[in-house]
Amino acid sequence: MKRKDTVKLISADEMEFVIDKDAAMVSQTIRNMLTSPGGFAETELGEVTFPEISAVILEKICQYFYWALQYSR
Amino acid sequence: MSNQKKRNFQIEAFKHRVVVDPKYAEKTWSILEHAIHEIYNHNASGLSFEELYRNAYNMVLHKFGEKLYSGLVATMTAHLKEISKSIEAAQGDLFLEELNRKWNDHNKALQMIRDILMYMDRTYIPNTHKTPVHELGLNLWRDNVIHSSKIQSRLLSMLLELVHRERTGEVIDRGLMRNIIKMLMDLGSSVYQEDFEKPFLEVSAEFYMGESQKFIECCDCGDYLKKAELRLNEEIERVTHFLDVKSEVKITNVVEKEMIANHMMRLVHMENSGLVNMLLDDKYEDLGRMYNLFRRVPNGLSTIRDVMTSHLREIGKQLVTDAEKLKDPVEFVQRLLDEKDKYDSIISQAFSNDKTFQNALNSSFEYFINLNNRSPEFISLFVDDKLRKGLKGVSEEDVEIILDKVMMLFRYLQEKDVFEKYYKQHLAKRLLSGKTVSDDAERSLIVKLKTECGYQFTSKLEGMFTDMKTSQDTMQGFYASHPELTDGPTLVVQVLTTGSWPTQPSITCNLPAETSALCEKFRSYYLGTHTGRRLSWQTNMGTADIKATFGKGQKHELNVSTYQMCVLMLFNNADRLSYKEVEQATGIPASDLKRCLQSMACVKGKNVIRKEPMSKDIGEDDAFFVNDKFTSKFYKVKIGTVVAQKESEPEKQETRQRVEEDRKPQIEAAIVRIMKSRRVLDHNNIIAEVTKQLQSRFLANPTEIKKRIESLIERDFLERDNNDRKLYRYLA
Repeated sequence: MKRKDTVKLISADEMEFVIDKDAAMVSQTIRNMLTSPGGFAETELGEVTFPEISAVILEKICQYFYWALQYSR
Repeated sequence: MSNQKKRNFQIEAFKHRVVVDPKYAEKTWSILEHAIHEIYNHNASGLSFEELYRNAYNMVLHKFGEKLYSGLVATMTAHLKEISKSIEAAQGDLFLEELNRKWNDHNKALQMIRDILMYMDRTYIPNTHKTPVHELGLNLWRDNVIHSSKIQSRLLSMLLELVHRERTGEVIDRGLMRNIIKMLMDLGSSVYQEDFEKPFLEVSAEFYMGESQKFIECCDCGDYLKKAELRLNEEIERVTHFLDVKSEVKITNVVEKEMIANHMMRLVHMENSGLVNMLLDDKYEDLGRMYNLFRRVPNGLSTIRDVMTSHLREIGKQLVTDAEKLKDPVEFVQRLLDEKDKYDSIISQAFSNDKTFQNALNSSFEYFINLNNRSPEFISLFVDDKLRKGLKGVSEEDVEIILDKVMMLFRYLQEKDVFEKYYKQHLAKRLLSGKTVSDDAERSLIVKLKTECGYQFTSKLEGMFTDMKTSQDTMQGFYASHPELTDGPTLVVQVLTTGSWPTQPSITCNLPAETSALCEKFRSYYLGTHTGRRLSWQTNMGTADIKATFGKGQKHELNVSTYQMCVLMLFNNADRLSYKEVEQATGIPASDLKRCLQSMACVKGKNVIRKEPMSKDIGEDDAFFVNDKFTSKFYKVKIGTVVAQKESEPEKQETRQRVEEDRKPQIEAAIVRIMKSRRVLDHNNIIAEVTKQLQSRFLANPTEIKKRIESLIERDFLERDNNDRKLYRYLA
């Protein structure tokens, strides 16, 4: 496992997407999830489950994250 | 192609399979409620953020936002009530710590709740204009905990007690204070102000009132100020450590008001240690402290300024009217300069060069210097003394410094033309007797006067210098053209232009034969080179050096005035002379003759002439002999000085009168100048304008101005208006 800061996004059909934390932070919701002060499961394990989002969609989302990182700077 | 596509191809919103279950809302809400409970119990690790977020999202989406929101309010309120009970239960000092801890917990929980309810925050709440979650949490905390009756008063009293304890010197837990205060600030600035700041300020005011009362009874001014400064700094430090920054201004105001403003007059006028004593003793540190503290208070500085001004005027008046001091003008002026130096250094060191204080100093000096109408004369005498001997061996910069100081005093004078007159007299005496220590110093002072008062003031003075130089050249020319005269007595002539030098009535005397021949030769030489001029000998201002051999063969060189020389030369031809014979032979006026005979016959150590009878006064029938028994330690003996002295009463009156006379044409010139430009002007305005124009020379007297106007009307320069007696018109 790469020791760089990464998070795992898990889709409804159990596809796991490992992306950089910076990419994930593009989404405010995921950012809040990961930086919430409480001891939620997400922060502890470093992975977020989306039981209602399919893998195809999640893949596109991850691609969007990287595009946003690249071009929004 | 795309149009067709559009009709056929419709993208439907992605709907998840959501059960439109009436119980759906209940179910979802119970999940969320459970989650909130867990969060408050620090059990959040088992929860899935995503699940909660999704649930909240769904609720809002399916129009159950209302239920969610009200449920949230109810749950939080319940929790907070529990929390406040537990805080109330805490004993004594633990109260604040418990409060602090619970507050931190609440904050954390609130954040977590806000995160999961983020969607509601963003959509439902703006639409319905309800308070956002975070704010809601703070408000609920405030209402249920802080404002709960039992906690509110206890909290306040504990906080105030801690502050009080720190003020009396104990060490308190500042971190805790800071957190509590921060909590109050986070709850809203009105909470902070109402619940803490206002009572805090009131209590502080009381505390400081008591403390200042205590101090002022037992301390003197300097100590009190030290303590006040200490307290002030302490409060400021306290604010930076654990209070709101905005409170700094308010609390410092309170301290200033209680400790300083209320006792200002008492401090300043305190016996033996008030402002006046501090000024007298040059207590720079105390004065500086007083200045800094009073600056914070309205009217503080003006109080100091007023007391300082009145004190200065008192001292100045005493100085100036003290008969003892007036006997020695040099001493007098030196004292003035010393006072000025002292206050200058006080202002620059303790009052940080405050302009208003400088102005107060200047006005006080101006006031009391002009109280004594002999001040111009004295200042001129002081300068004279310095230029004669005081500046010997002093470096050039020091000379400049002293002259600058004198110029400062000069600026305070209102009657500058009186000074001019005296200065001219003294300068004339200095130049003619050759007694100036440094020519450069003289010239530099003239330059300073010129920059101060303009060319007109110094033109005559400069004329005097030019005359001296020209005379030197003339003498060189004279001796160059008459080489046969180098054997006889040496003549040194100073040719003075009448306008520049102070006029004295010139009464010539009969010069002895040797000298008069020489004088005639000079006169013909001079008139040969400068036609159209008239020369008259001023024998009352000259000096002579003569060699005398006395009875036992002792030779001395005598430095005498011209009159004295004439008298002494008579004794070359006769051994005994009576007063009448001397008077006749020399033609010197009686009072001068008596004086010069007195200085030669009656003064011990300089009695080159013997008088019979040996009385102090000169009578008509006295007889004079050469004093063969005259002895002196020195070869050169000086008799009869022409030193500038303080004027005697009649001389003073005379000078004053001359000054008044000189002022008349100046006033008239000013009136004519003003009327010429204005054409028509009324009485009061004329007086105001004339006074303003002549301000740099002297203070014009309105009655005098009126008299001058009358005289101008008589001479047809002005006329009175026919209708209005107060209006004057200029006649071309």
